Amino acid sequence: MRKKEFPTMPRRRTRTLRALTLALAAVLLVAGCQSAIAQQQDSATRSLAPGQAAPQGGDLRVGVLGDMSPKTFLQIGTGNLAGQVVSNVFDTLIRYSRDDLTVRPSLATGWRLAPDGLSLTLDLRSDVRFHNGKPFVSSDVEQSLKAYLSGPWTPQFKRTAAAITSYDTGDPHRVVLRFAHPLSNIFDLLDSAPILDAQTLPALKAGKAYVGTGPFRFDSWQPNSSLRLVRNDSYWGGRPNLDAVTFAIIRDQQSLYTRLRTGQIDVAYGLNYHDQQLATQRYGFKDVTFTGAEAQEYVGINVTNPALSDVRLRRAIAYAIDRPRIINDVFRQSGYVVNLPWPKWSPAYDAGANSTYRRDVEKAKALVAEHGPVPPIPLDYSTQGVDRVVAEIVQSNLKDVGIPVTLIPNDQTQQASKLIGGKFEGIWLLQHAFAQFTPSTLAVSAYPFNAAKNSSNYINPDYAAAATAAWTVADGSSPAALAAYQKLDDIWLRDLFLVEIGVVFQKIATSSSVGNVDWDRRNQLHLKDTYLDTSGRNS
Amino acid sequence: MLGYLIRRIPTALIVLAVASILIFSILRLIPGGPEAALAGPDASPDQLAAIRHDLGLDRPFLVQYFAWLGGILTLNFGQSYQVGGAISDLIGYGLINTVVLTLSALVIAVALALTLSLAATISENRWVHAVLVGINAVAIAIPTFVIGTVLILVFGVQLRWLPAGGTPPGGYTENLQFSLQYLLLPALTLGLPAGAVLARFLTEALHTELRQPYAVTARSLGVPRRTIVVRNALRNALPPTLTALGLVIGGLLGGAILVESIFGWPGLGLLTEEGIFARDYPLVQVLVLLSVTVFVVLQLAADVLHAWLDPRIRLAGQ
Repeated sequence: MRKKEFPTMPRRRTRTLRALTLALAAVLLVAGCQSAIAQQQDSATRSLAPGQAAPQGGDLRVGVLGDMSPKTFLQIGTGNLAGQVVSNVFDTLIRYSRDDLTVRPSLATGWRLAPDGLSLTLDLRSDVRFHNGKPFVSSDVEQSLKAYLSGPWTPQFKRTAAAITSYDTGDPHRVVLRFAHPLSNIFDLLDSAPILDAQTLPALKAGKAYVGTGPFRFDSWQPNSSLRLVRNDSYWGGRPNLDAVTFAIIRDQQSLYTRLRTGQIDVAYGLNYHDQQLATQRYGFKDVTFTGAEAQEYVGINVTNPALSDVRLRRAIAYAIDRPRIINDVFRQSGYVVNLPWPKWSPAYDAGANSTYRRDVEKAKALVAEHGPVPPIPLDYSTQGVDRVVAEIVQSNLKDVGIPVTLIPNDQTQQASKLIGGKFEGIWLLQHAFAQFTPSTLAVSAYPFNAAKNSSNYINPDYAAAATAAWTVADGSSPAALAAYQKLDDIWLRDLFLVEIGVVFQKIATSSSVGNVDWDRRNQLHLKDTYLDTSGRNS
Repeated sequence: MLGYLIRRIPTALIVLAVASILIFSILRLIPGGPEAALAGPDASPDQLAAIRHDLGLDRPFLVQYFAWLGGILTLNFGQSYQVGGAISDLIGYGLINTVVLTLSALVIAVALALTLSLAATISENRWVHAVLVGINAVAIAIPTFVIGTVLILVFGVQLRWLPAGGTPPGGYTENLQFSLQYLLLPALTLGLPAGAVLARFLTEALHTELRQPYAVTARSLGVPRRTIVVRNALRNALPPTLTALGLVIGGLLGGAILVESIFGWPGLGLLTEEGIFARDYPLVQVLVLLSVTVFVVLQLAADVLHAWLDPRIRLAGQ
């Protein structure tokens, strides 16, 4: 009866049909014939045939975790995007070999160190132009190294740059640097300091212009989204293979992984070790290990803490830590156990000394017993990265030998603030860099090791003298330098103001279509010779 | 109406002033400062002090506050410590992305709320009603990060129908299809819980209306339930729902922080997150104050709209 009085059903049907048609149209529009995913996936399945020449062209998409920050432009080891701009838009005077500290030419074609180590003459290329067309000359070297010192940046070789007392730039293609004293790590500075265009320095400091001599030109930057570099066709070192490089800024490690898996990016820079292993061992992505750019995981110790001022307790910690478990389980075998900071290729590496402290629970217990009851020791760690798991392992290891530990989580900024301010009450977990350069650099440029003032509040005139001796020899691989490194090693192993856990590698995962990825000691990508097989892409 | 609006403005200004003080103070209570974020773990205390001086952080607290407030009042938001560039430029870029995402989520939320509420109110079938209420409860109960992650895993990773994150490479206007594909998952993640909350408000309001004498009379005269709901009850149920909509939009803006992080959507939420981790005081201060301002304005707009729809409210204070 109601249907007859209120004949609404046909109208309802019409409306339903209309709604369904609209919904179908929307679905077709969204998931229709063109797919954003399909457009992006093809490049992840191609690979070059053996002997095939590197393909030309293509836009390489690199996923990175950090955004650009002009203020941290010259900072080492921050993993931010600025570093990738430095390495691809700018050149340095020399470049270290990846395998050792052999110096190779870049903007400087030759160099002569004076026998007394107090001056260095560098012959410069004469065929180099900045991206704005200005020729590269010796005064640019002076301006760049002075800009390196004057900020607003906090580069880590400032102390070395400050020891340069004068620049002779009379010849536009030769520069003579004179030093206050011999500098064993002068090439560390020259490998790291980008050559900047003096005219555009104010714009560089404001983050508005990046004018270098490198293989790529800065094109655009959308904060928190992407940064694009385009090929420099007139690059002095030959034309790059790629047309462009787009860095996709991704804030979350899980997003980085899913975007690699779904083909939205060609390179993932900053995956956690678990995802890196999964992507490369299960899903066929290529694993690229940045050898020569190692970092070190360590436990720092505040030696002014009443309990930890007793070196026996510090030794107990060194004996208690299960280093192989940390390297194998947390870092997924991307590294190796050490007692001293040096990577295996370093002139200071000493395999024998590295077995001084192995996990020995009985020895550690005995040392704790000699010391007496231990109050709970705070252990600060950063919540970003893998240190939470490492902290739990260390806590468990120390509990085994009778040292109670209280875990204190911090975010990265808080952790850095406590480190620099020397505000850790007990022990802390972090990674340090700089052992991948000339060994003396570690003792003068890395704050945890700094002989003048460090986070451990460890002050020792012998240590300061050994650090200065290592820094002020002319040749960083000479017998005098090696003797100085030995002295530093002895002090570190004896006084243990920090306990090394292991050398760890930075890794990236790339699709199989990407080849010839290069990097430097600062973990920065060099993409001049990188190629991308784009034959399968739809656009 | 104008009088009602004028009566509400002083309260809004007081809220903004108090918020500015709280934002400025609380940020400085977070351990670790911007100088540590900028300098990195290998810097020395001297470098840290130089950066603090460079940023003006060694000046007295009140001097810093009034300098910032003066800038805000003259629309000079300053420079970002960490990200670099003028804050107004950063916000301009992030705002477009956040507005696109929030509006899309709002459309989804409103569509979902209307569909669920009308279906649940019109249907006299107990089972249909129970299923709709169940869907509503689940959409409210599941955390946003779970919805987002599940959508990414299913539609992004497993089925590969839609992008797992990011924004359209060529911008929104280059290819509308791609833009919608990039937008769908984050907008759905953000819009689902909001739609469920709105649906609950609207359903309750509709049921209240259906108990009113006019609705009971209409039913007794044989007017179909559907007609009463759509033509009469819905209009009367909208004012309280509009107030809820103001709150929901505020919630969408807050929720955008998480959704933008999950999907790598470069909006204001992601910018805020980055700013907080880097202790980028000027950037976070402006972003949070902007968020409070938007919330206050929306609430004001909702109240004014509510008063316009219901004369009893605007006459109450006179």
